[in-house]
Amino acid sequence: MTASDPCFLSVAEAASLIAAKRLSPVELVQAYLARIERLNDTLHAYVRLLPDEALAAARSAEAEIAAGRHRGPLHGIPIGLKDIYDTAGVATEGGSRLCLGRVPAADATTTRLLKQAGAILLGKLTTWEFAIGGTAFDTPFPPARNPWDPERDPAGSSSGSGAAVAAGLCAMAMGSDTGGSIRWPAAWCGLAGLKPTYGRVSRAGIMPLSFSLDHAGPLTWTVEDAAIVLQAIAGHDPHDPASADRPVPDYRAALVSSDLRGVRLGIARSMFERDCPSSGAMGTAFETAVEVLRGLGAAVAEIELPPLALYNATASLITRSEGFAIHEKTLRERPQDYGALARDRLTIGAYVRASNMVQAMRRRLMLVEATDAAMAGFDAILLPTCPDPAPVLGELGPYFDNRRPMYMRPFNLTGQPALSLCNGFDDTGLPLSLQIVGRHFDEATVLHIGHAYERATPWRERRPPL
Amino acid sequence: MADRIEDRFAVETELLGLKLLPGQEANLRAAYAALREAIALVGADYPFEAEPAHVFVPAACIERRR
Repeated sequence: MTASDPCFLSVAEAASLIAAKRLSPVELVQAYLARIERLNDTLHAYVRLLPDEALAAARSAEAEIAAGRHRGPLHGIPIGLKDIYDTAGVATEGGSRLCLGRVPAADATTTRLLKQAGAILLGKLTTWEFAIGGTAFDTPFPPARNPWDPERDPAGSSSGSGAAVAAGLCAMAMGSDTGGSIRWPAAWCGLAGLKPTYGRVSRAGIMPLSFSLDHAGPLTWTVEDAAIVLQAIAGHDPHDPASADRPVPDYRAALVSSDLRGVRLGIARSMFERDCPSSGAMGTAFETAVEVLRGLGAAVAEIELPPLALYNATASLITRSEGFAIHEKTLRERPQDYGALARDRLTIGAYVRASNMVQAMRRRLMLVEATDAAMAGFDAILLPTCPDPAPVLGELGPYFDNRRPMYMRPFNLTGQPALSLCNGFDDTGLPLSLQIVGRHFDEATVLHIGHAYERATPWRERRPPL
Repeated sequence: MADRIEDRFAVETELLGLKLLPGQEANLRAAYAALREAIALVGADYPFEAEPAHVFVPAACIERRR
């Protein structure tokens, strides 16, 4: 990776070159725009490009940096935002016919923080309709495709975010995660995807799906890049009632060492061997990863968590109920304007009674406590992100999670930080995944483990064959 | 309340005043069956004092109960 391939630089690499004035933000933006022009008709990662605004911002960044006013590692870095992140003066349509022409007056808090850090917005990225609709063909926006094989699904709901970062169409992208929608596209597109602790990153100005399960976070090429982005967006926001007023540590400081001696990892084997057995390639890659982590000094043992189905049933009732509450008015007045998948997946929430929802929240607290108790003596949980690599686009169907449950929703329910990272490739070249789950507000340990693993493996040397 | 899940779905749909679009009923009926399973799995037999999660303070919620 050199400055001659600017679209394949990590955020950290590009930031270093920009700070040394060896890479021009203007040239970097131009390189991304040219690549988007070449590939977006195939991948459908972007729904809206902002070339003039991006070039103007790049010229401004270049002038600031030349004048000695370098803001930090995101200054001059081109990014994309899932199209549920509000952007002042720029349409934010949530992948839905219902929101066509919706132009927010203000930026989401995360949008504002990224701009303040000097990041340059290239455009808005494809999302499943309202972050729930699935891979749909009946909305105004074609579904994004997987850069590792455009016939395959990139996963969602942050589908464009996963496709764009993997394909080198932006240096990093923001996604949202209610049941896995950051980690899932990260897994199927071979990226790092970080769902921070609930309350760590503001949700203000991001279209809601499920108030108590929604999380915002980055999809990046490397774990180090995720740490850089988290540094810029973490912290208390009075505009988000769920925002936590907790100190924000130096996340990159946690990455200086690959020594994992003293780190205790718990393998949640019951989830991916008993509750929903993972595919052979995923399981083999997982066991290899465990040996790598042991080799780095980590102590590894088994951890017993409650059944996956119980976490998923509880999260499902909450998501459906909260999602229906948000959409009830428009579902009743304009049902024909939703895509069929989003309409059905939101409407079913009408059938969740108030007492069902309260029981789910009671069960939720029990599961939070049980997970916390199981983690006694461990720093993090280790398991795959999902059981299989990416299927052919359109194969998922509306109720895929009932047939092959993923391993992500438990940690939306508990609110713990969870990182998905690339764990090699199967025989056909599709990415496999590894998930690291930490204690509340301990993103630093999760990032430390992920970064150490990434540095010890060759998976970042391969890019999609585009 | 009707015994069969199809009948129960129809009764609840009417009570909720939902106007389903053509083709939507079959999909929702399948989702309804899965929803009933989720409700059964979550259960309703909790001690009186079992608190729901206070989601806006996930960590404090644990600390308070230690």
